[in-house]
Amino acid sequence: MSDATRIDPQLEQLLEQVLCTAAGLHAGSTDLRLDRALWARLAESGLTRLTGADSGAGWVEAAGLLRAAARHAAAVPVAENDLLAGWLVEQAGLPDDPSIVRTSCVVDASGAAAAVPWASEVDRVVVLWESAGGWRVADVPVGDARIARGRDLAGRPTDAVQVDLARCAPGAGAISAEDARAYDLRGALARAAQSTGAMDRMLAMSAQYVTERVQFGRPLARFQAIQHLVADVACEVALANAAVDAAVVEMASTHDDLDRLELVVAIARSVVGHAATVVVRNAHQVHGAIGTTLEHRLHELSKPVLAWRMEFGSVREWDARLAAMLAHAGTDLWSFGVRSSRS
Amino acid sequence: MSLATTAHHVLESEELRALRESVRAFLRQEIASDGFVPAVDCWLGSWDAAFSRKLAARGWLGMTIPVEYGGHGRSFLERFVVTEELLAAGAPLAAHWISDRQIAPSLMKFGTKEQRRKLLPGIAAGEIFFAIGMSEPDSGSDLASVRTKAVKVDGGWQLTGSKIWTSGAHLAHYFIVLARSAPLDPEHRHAGLSQYVVALDAPGIDIRPIVSMNGQHHFNQVFFDGVFVPDAMLFGREGDGWTQVTSELSYERSGPERLLSTVAVLGEMAAATQRGDLPPDPELGRMFARVMALHQMSISVADALSSGRPTDQEAAIVKVLGTATEGDVAELVGLTVGSAGGGSADGLERLREMTATALLARPGFTLRGGTNEILRGVIARGLGLR
Repeated sequence: MSDATRIDPQLEQLLEQVLCTAAGLHAGSTDLRLDRALWARLAESGLTRLTGADSGAGWVEAAGLLRAAARHAAAVPVAENDLLAGWLVEQAGLPDDPSIVRTSCVVDASGAAAAVPWASEVDRVVVLWESAGGWRVADVPVGDARIARGRDLAGRPTDAVQVDLARCAPGAGAISAEDARAYDLRGALARAAQSTGAMDRMLAMSAQYVTERVQFGRPLARFQAIQHLVADVACEVALANAAVDAAVVEMASTHDDLDRLELVVAIARSVVGHAATVVVRNAHQVHGAIGTTLEHRLHELSKPVLAWRMEFGSVREWDARLAAMLAHAGTDLWSFGVRSSRS
Repeated sequence: MSLATTAHHVLESEELRALRESVRAFLRQEIASDGFVPAVDCWLGSWDAAFSRKLAARGWLGMTIPVEYGGHGRSFLERFVVTEELLAAGAPLAAHWISDRQIAPSLMKFGTKEQRRKLLPGIAAGEIFFAIGMSEPDSGSDLASVRTKAVKVDGGWQLTGSKIWTSGAHLAHYFIVLARSAPLDPEHRHAGLSQYVVALDAPGIDIRPIVSMNGQHHFNQVFFDGVFVPDAMLFGREGDGWTQVTSELSYERSGPERLLSTVAVLGEMAAATQRGDLPPDPELGRMFARVMALHQMSISVADALSSGRPTDQEAAIVKVLGTATEGDVAELVGLTVGSAGGGSADGLERLREMTATALLARPGFTLRGGTNEILRGVIARGLGLR
C-alpha cells in the first residue's frame, strides 16, 4: 500500500528551511501583522501559490505547507491566498498574478462580509456572492473596499469588508453552485490541516518541557499523572491527523463527489475540534504558569487552534451536520462511513 | 521535529472494497434469515461454533494461514477488512476469535512444523478453538510476575498453578499457557518464561466459571494440578516466553475489535434517528466521526503490522482511544434513552436493550488486553518521557 499523504522529502525540507524564519509575535503585543519578510521568502520558493494552475502540486502538498506554517506559528495567509482566493480566481477564469496577496470571503446581497481573515493586510479581496444569475466572483483591490479592522482571539486580523457589488459586477466571473459549495469545504479543511500542524508542535513542546522542568527533585516527566496528560495529547493529535489525512486524500482525488467530500471534511472538523479541547487543555496544564504568559511561545500555537475551529462552522455545527447526514443516509451507519464496491 | 504518530494513510483498493461488499451481502442474508442478532461485544460474548464454520466455508477463517496448512494465503489487510465488517455487524465471533486473531499468526511465527500441521487446518476450518493463558490471580497488568510453574519431567513438562480471565476456556479446545520454567531472577524478570500448548481436556485441569456482572459466562479460572504437557507441545523456545507473548500482544492490542465493540449500538441509534424515533443529536455525529477516524488509524496499523514495521506506539494509541470511544458510545446511548414508560412502544426497544448490554460491558473495554493506564505508559515511553 502506498502512503497517499506523504509529501516529497525535498519539499518537506524546503518548507522547514523557509518557515523556520517565521518571526512570531512581537513581544508585548497580542496583535498579529502579516509577516511580509517571510511572505517574500515563500514567494521566492513558489510556495505562496502552491496549487496554482501549472504548479503540479495539489492538496497533499498544500496540507503539508499549511501544517508546517502552523507548526512555526507563521503569520502568513497561505490558505487564504492559494486554496481559497487563488482557487476562486482560477475557477472564475479571472487573471491571476502570483505577486499579489489575496484573501477571500462570501458577501451578502449588500456586499458585506464579517470577520474576513487578513483583509486589512492584503492587496486584494476576492469576493464571492450569489446573484440571480448564479454565483459570481470578483477580484477587488482593497482600495475599492471599505474595511473595518477586527481581531480574532489569536490576534489575527479578521476584518469587516464592504464592497459595492454594482461596481464589482462588470468585471466579475462566474462559478458553479458546486464550486461555491466546495469553497466552504476547502476553507473548513484548510483550517483543520492548520490546526493539526499547531497541535503537532504543542505535543513536541509539551514532551520537551516535561523532560526538562524539574520539580520535587525530578523531571515532571517522571510523574505518571504528567505522562498520562501528554499521552492523551499524543492520542488526540494522532487521531486528528488521521481524520485530516483522509479528507485531504478525498479533496485531492479527481472525481467530484461533493457529498462524500462533505462527509470526510465534517469528520475531520469534528475530530480536530474535539481534539483541540484535550490538546489545548493538557498542553497548557503541563506547561504550568509560564505557558499562560505572552512571553512563552505556547499561546502562539494554542490560540490559533482555538480561533481556527470557530471558522467555517463551529464544532457543534459540524457535529450536527454529521448527525443530519446520518439521519438521511438511507443506509446503515457503518456502510455510510466505510465504502464498499457497492456504495 | 514532529512527535506525532503520523500513521500513514491507507487507500483501500477496489479489490478490498469488493471483499467488503461480499461480506456485507453475506451478513445481510444471515440477519434476514435470523442467522444471528447483532450484539454488543460480539467477539467476546457471542459464541456460535456453527456460525464460525459458515465463515470457514466462505474462506473467512484462517485467511492469512498459508494454503499448505489449510488456510487461504490471503493478506493481513484482507483479513482486517473481513474482520471489520463482521464486528461492525455485531456477528457472533467469539468461538474462533482467539485462534484466528493471535494463535494462527503466532503458530506461523513460533510453532513447530508438527504443531502447525496438527492445529492450523482445524483453526481454518472452525473446528479447533483456542483461549488465552496469560493472566493469573496475582498477575494482571504485570505479566512477568506469573507463578504458574512448568517443571521438566521425562518426555515433557508438568504444569502447576492457575490462569484467570480465560474467556471461553469451558468451550475451547486448547490454550497457550505462559509459565515460569526457570526460577525467578529479580534482575532479569523477563527470563525463564516459556509457553505451552495445553489441551483444555487434559487430566489435572479444572475449569471454574467466573460470571460477569451482566450475568454472562465467558470468563473462567483454570487450575492445573500437575498437568502433563508433552515436549512436542512446548510452544516456541524454552525461555523465550516473554518475547513471544509480547509479539502475541501486538495482535491482541491493535485490532478493530478495540473500537467496534459498541458500533452496533451506535448504528442502532442512527437507525432510530432515521426512523424519527430520536431527534438528530450532534453527539451522534461526534461519535460517528471518532469511529471513522479510528477506523482509518486502525487500518494503517494493520498495514504497518503486515509489512513488519514497528507499531507498538500506534497500536497503543488506537487501543486507548478506541476503547474509550466504545465506552463513550455506551455512555451516549445511556444518557439518551430513558426507561420504557407510558405503555406504548416508542421504537427504542432494541436500542434500550443494547444500551443495557453496552453499559454493563463497558468497564471491561478499557481493561482487557492491557489497561489504558498501562498503555498510556507505553505511549509516554514512545514520546521519550520514561
